[in-house]
Amino acid sequence: MKKYTIKRLLTSLFTLLAILLVLFILMQLMPGSPFNDEKLNETQKAALYAKYGLDDPIIVQFFRYVGNMLHGDLGVSYKISKNTPIAQMLETRLPISIFIGGFAVLIGAILGLILGLIAALKHDTIWDSLATVISVIGVSVPSYVFALALSYTLGFKLKWFPMLYTVQQSMGSSVLPSISLSMFTMASIARFTRSEMLEVLGSDYMLLAESKGISGPALIFRHALRNALIPIITVLAPLIVDLMTGSLVVEKIFAIPGVGSLLVNAIQSNDYNVVISLSFIYSAMYIGIMLVVDILYGIIDPRIRLAKKGD
Amino acid sequence: MKKTKATVSLLTASALVLGLVGFNTTVYAETGTSDLNIMLETPVESLDPQQATDGTSFEVIADYTDGLMQMDADGQAVPAIAESYDLSEDGLTYTFHLRDASWSNGDPVTAADFVFAWQRAVDPDVASEYAYMLSDIGQVVNAAEIIAGEKDKSELGVTAVDDKTLEVKLNVPVSYFLSLMYFPTFYPVNQAFFESVGDTFGTSPDTVLSNGAFIMDTYEPAATAFHLTKNDEYWDTERVQLPGLNYQVIQDSQQALMSYQTGALDTTLVNGEQVDQVKEDPEFQTIGAGYLWYVSPNMDAVPELANQNIRLAMTHAINREAITGDVLKDGSLPTYTAVPMQFAAGPDGSDYSADQERYADVCAYDADKAAELWAAGLEELGISELELDMVVDADDAPQKVAQVLKEQWETTLPGLTVNLTIEPKKQRVEDMQEGNFQLGLTRWGPDYADPMTYLGMWVTGNSNNYGLWSNSDFDAIIDECTTGDLCTDAEGRWARLYDAEKLVMDEAVIFPLYTQANAEMLSSKVTGIEFHPVALNRVYKNAAKTE
Repeated sequence: MKKYTIKRLLTSLFTLLAILLVLFILMQLMPGSPFNDEKLNETQKAALYAKYGLDDPIIVQFFRYVGNMLHGDLGVSYKISKNTPIAQMLETRLPISIFIGGFAVLIGAILGLILGLIAALKHDTIWDSLATVISVIGVSVPSYVFALALSYTLGFKLKWFPMLYTVQQSMGSSVLPSISLSMFTMASIARFTRSEMLEVLGSDYMLLAESKGISGPALIFRHALRNALIPIITVLAPLIVDLMTGSLVVEKIFAIPGVGSLLVNAIQSNDYNVVISLSFIYSAMYIGIMLVVDILYGIIDPRIRLAKKGD
Repeated sequence: MKKTKATVSLLTASALVLGLVGFNTTVYAETGTSDLNIMLETPVESLDPQQATDGTSFEVIADYTDGLMQMDADGQAVPAIAESYDLSEDGLTYTFHLRDASWSNGDPVTAADFVFAWQRAVDPDVASEYAYMLSDIGQVVNAAEIIAGEKDKSELGVTAVDDKTLEVKLNVPVSYFLSLMYFPTFYPVNQAFFESVGDTFGTSPDTVLSNGAFIMDTYEPAATAFHLTKNDEYWDTERVQLPGLNYQVIQDSQQALMSYQTGALDTTLVNGEQVDQVKEDPEFQTIGAGYLWYVSPNMDAVPELANQNIRLAMTHAINREAITGDVLKDGSLPTYTAVPMQFAAGPDGSDYSADQERYADVCAYDADKAAELWAAGLEELGISELELDMVVDADDAPQKVAQVLKEQWETTLPGLTVNLTIEPKKQRVEDMQEGNFQLGLTRWGPDYADPMTYLGMWVTGNSNNYGLWSNSDFDAIIDECTTGDLCTDAEGRWARLYDAEKLVMDEAVIFPLYTQANAEMLSSKVTGIEFHPVALNRVYKNAAKTE
């Protein structure tokens, strides 16, 4: 098991390094520069490139960046917040994005479970069909469409929630963005819960439990849902990561000072360091979550690590 | 039955969770009572006056910083930190006499603060993008040499004679020099404070100092919301009526308009598609933005476009009224001059480009004349058909305008096919700078309130002269007006600038299209916001808001 973990860890680190290099190459391919291309002449641009070391060969830039990163230095922003260390910008923004994302996962998981349960328990009834329709909408409609619709109805028309994020009401103003983001999670969990529950409900041990006289909530929650939950938790992990990509547009719509809106602005203004740092953090989170899931799988299911050993 | 109960209880539980969260949100509409609530389209890029380059940053820096001069409602330079000034007879030395004003940490504003700031602006280590405001445009002695690394920044032609006297030496007389003094690149910085905060300068309320109408009290880098409070220690504080400014960055135009309609904003931008929805509203207005949109033909790379009849035919074939009236609908003005309207006032105070008929004979919409010139041009070239590509920004308005241009050209000029290449703005700019284009739809915003900010572009070899046009007569006039005899003769210079513009128009070096306007909503409770197309887009010193 230890060997397996170390191997997975090393692979992840190598993947991250490769991602960083690809990001560097991609930055070179973007048209224009972070500076005011229209107003600056070549000499001025050259001076700015020299100031930030952008005139060095890409491989030099890459290793310098990796070196600095090991010291916790992510570089400074060239454009969207000139000369501000990126670490400083992330300090306040990352918690906001994580909070909204976490809130979305919570809503999505709870609602998804409920929806999936209803669909499974009311199998082949109108409730089941309704749950399926909701799930399909949740999976297929992008989160920003929900964002605009919710903002118009619950924010603008009914005035239940603020339309824009404010620090003073961080909880209240997180509701609409979180719901918009949670729809995909909710729909996925609902579909998964439904199929898992149906499988469990039809299994022999459920029949046994029922024949032993267990019924009602005890039967559903203690015996059926508990067994169905294990695979559901494993799909939740990648869904958390999906949330982060959805948050790019949603953060922009609700004016949320998170990392998603920062990344969008950074890409539009060629702010290389910001794009690289944020993409790297996103990748690291993704790989990190996948790593944890893989290792957990190994712990839960011995077949995986045994198979690896046999390779 | 029991199953249903379980589901219901789960549903109730989750509703409770959401309800708890929603509970404390009912008061949100009541914040910011009589502060002015302002929408921004983009976050502030920098609060460092010598590093900032964008309109948003300039506006906010000017909220809490005064320079030597400030803008009045008409955009004229009037005294701010400088109580008065003297200009030497040769027009080369300005002596500014500073009033008693203080920074928000109690330090007095001194001439040394300006010297320090200006030296930063040209310091190659700082690499300020707007350093050219001091060298090429401001003509401050030694600025160009310092930027190029040939001289030390201490040799810059600006001296603190004493705490209250600042002397500025220029290479040549600059007629619009005073109007540069309200441009944030020239704003003072308190050296002791700057050095005490180091690299964190301008990244939080604690790392900026105010000598202006307001004081920054909440801010973080690239903030989506921040706030300024009235500065009671401001030298002109009686004039300031607003208790504070509440900025909100909203990048989604629908959200912005809805926020305005709920009363959370007092002013917001409206995009072209929303105009129809709000244009009957008395609070709707359009404000000149000073940008000139034009088509640049690449005369160097495309032999057909080097033909003057072809170019004249193309500019005569453009129905500019249709573009602004039917497509843009945001108050943009059809423009028939190479210098746009509403940003540069002459010695007599009138708009340089007020007369839009001046070059009517070479660019007014005239389908018959266009067709004649076109036929003549084709004959000279010995061709019957012509296919041209036009590079266009992948933004909403330019794409629409380009579609109309294509249609107008192809209908009026037989044998012409125009293909549109839609690409991200950065790519389009790069293509034009590298000469990799045939026709380009582009725009230019004024850097200072003088026609030279536009005419200077068409000088031989200028990096913005995308079409690589070259005319020695034109170059001579521009020289005469920037460094030559006309520097000190305001009226004479003004007349000569028209001569230069005429050359550009006669040879159809560019096809001017329209002067951009911004469509905005402004609450009827608000008065006194001053809008400007140059330097500071909005000034709130005289603004008031009634409840």
